[in-house]
Amino acid sequence: MADVIKIENLTKSYGKKRGVSDISLTVGGGEIFGFIGPNGAGKSTTIRSMLGFLNFEKGSITILGKDSVKEHVGVLKEVGYMPSEALFYPTMKVSEVIKFAADARELDCREEAEMLCERLQLDTGKRIKELSLGNRKKVSIVCAMQHKPKLFVFDEPSSGLDPLMQSTFFELIKEYVKKGATCFLSTHVLSEVSRYCDRAAIMREGKLIKVDLVDNLTESTVKSVKVTADGVHEEYMYNGDINELVKKLSERKLENLYIEEPSLEDMFMHFYEGKEEVR
Amino acid sequence: MITVCRHELKLGFKALLIWSLSVGIMGLLCILMYTSMEGEMADMAESFSKLGAFSDAFGMSTLSIATLGGFFATEVGTVHGLGSAMFAAITAAVILSKEEDGHTGEFLYSLPISRGSAVTGKALSVLINLVAFTVICGVFYVIGFVALGEDVLWKEMLLFLVRMLLMNIEIASVTLVISAASTKNRLGAGLGLALIFYAYDLIGRVVPDLKDYLFIGPFSLANASEIFSGQKAPVEALIVAAIVIVVAVTATYRVYLKKDLAS
Repeated sequence: MADVIKIENLTKSYGKKRGVSDISLTVGGGEIFGFIGPNGAGKSTTIRSMLGFLNFEKGSITILGKDSVKEHVGVLKEVGYMPSEALFYPTMKVSEVIKFAADARELDCREEAEMLCERLQLDTGKRIKELSLGNRKKVSIVCAMQHKPKLFVFDEPSSGLDPLMQSTFFELIKEYVKKGATCFLSTHVLSEVSRYCDRAAIMREGKLIKVDLVDNLTESTVKSVKVTADGVHEEYMYNGDINELVKKLSERKLENLYIEEPSLEDMFMHFYEGKEEVR
Repeated sequence: MITVCRHELKLGFKALLIWSLSVGIMGLLCILMYTSMEGEMADMAESFSKLGAFSDAFGMSTLSIATLGGFFATEVGTVHGLGSAMFAAITAAVILSKEEDGHTGEFLYSLPISRGSAVTGKALSVLINLVAFTVICGVFYVIGFVALGEDVLWKEMLLFLVRMLLMNIEIASVTLVISAASTKNRLGAGLGLALIFYAYDLIGRVVPDLKDYLFIGPFSLANASEIFSGQKAPVEALIVAAIVIVVAVTATYRVYLKKDLAS
């Protein structure tokens, strides 16, 4: 399918502070794309550049065939964004916030909003200042989804939601994606990426270090080795001939040994910690 | 743009009511006090008019506070001038920066609204609030005149309110730039600026050497004593106000459209 997001050589710095450097990635139509990395890796900078909150100095971003800078408003019409903080105007009622978001889009979203509020069990009569983080997240979900956008951009969407609501939220994403939407999901929760995403990108220190299918990220020749031998416990990733590994280990006095497929968490930690080399 | 404007008017309605009712009722009470003080006013007016620079500063050398027009200009002129200036300054000082300060910017600017039209909508809401404030206060002042059974000085009253409105627009346009450049609410800065402008005008009227430079400050646009004593409009002050408004509004757009929005 055609690229829904195309980022080319995106560079953004905050004066002397690092932002992101030379990011290039594409997201195809109908994908659920995971965007992972530790705090300060540049995930939010990338998202905020995509949505026009930040002016970047180099590169280009095309969303649904439109230039994110020149056709900024046109892009936002097709996007449903859920920020990580989910903060609204405290004195407004939930229903007023939802209506304001629909009015700004010049759309009548009442039917969809009603369905979403029902599924998320959201009380629209309450004022924002009376809501917990989880309920504010639900308002954010409704505002991001009620206009049935072609692209969802979620920044840490599940934090604050209880497990049941997390499940409902991902069900909703899958339903919209089934109908043709695309989802760009920035998260710390690696299990969400391995469970729901088709592909994922890993960011570290402002750079994109890996983009691949989630299956490929975990199904590589790299093995996770946990060994206790000669009274010493070691954990490392091994990439190479497995016979060589067994031969080397047999020379030691083994007390315990696990050789397994690395989880996404292992792979993430491997990239996060900057271990370019594996044993 | 209209959606943003309507949204801001809704959010700012309570503040508008509180400020306009406070200033309007204070003005009304001042007017109503006139009859109870009328007897003593003649002597007081005589004494006040001989206080030299201080009489000039409060307009009592050109107008007699023994007349309702003079009393209104010196008393209500000060209350309305200061109250409306503070309202204008703080309304505009927070209108843009509150989105970043309250972390609501990511919600607002993820909607298909360009920053330019958001600025227009918000600035328009400030203007409507200032007009509404002026009208509400004006109604109270007219009620005061009618309650005393006095003829309303329509010409002077309208001129006073229009020039006060213009002064408020000038002050609001200056604090709008502060709001555009800031990521935090600058309510204190707005209030401070309004008081500095007032102090500048007051000092300018007391210190003879500063009189020639009074036109620089926005309060010189709407000196109630000058208006009620039938003096000509200060052309230099009107020109300065027009320049300040145009420059400040242009700067607001330039700053706000180029800035990175804080999360």
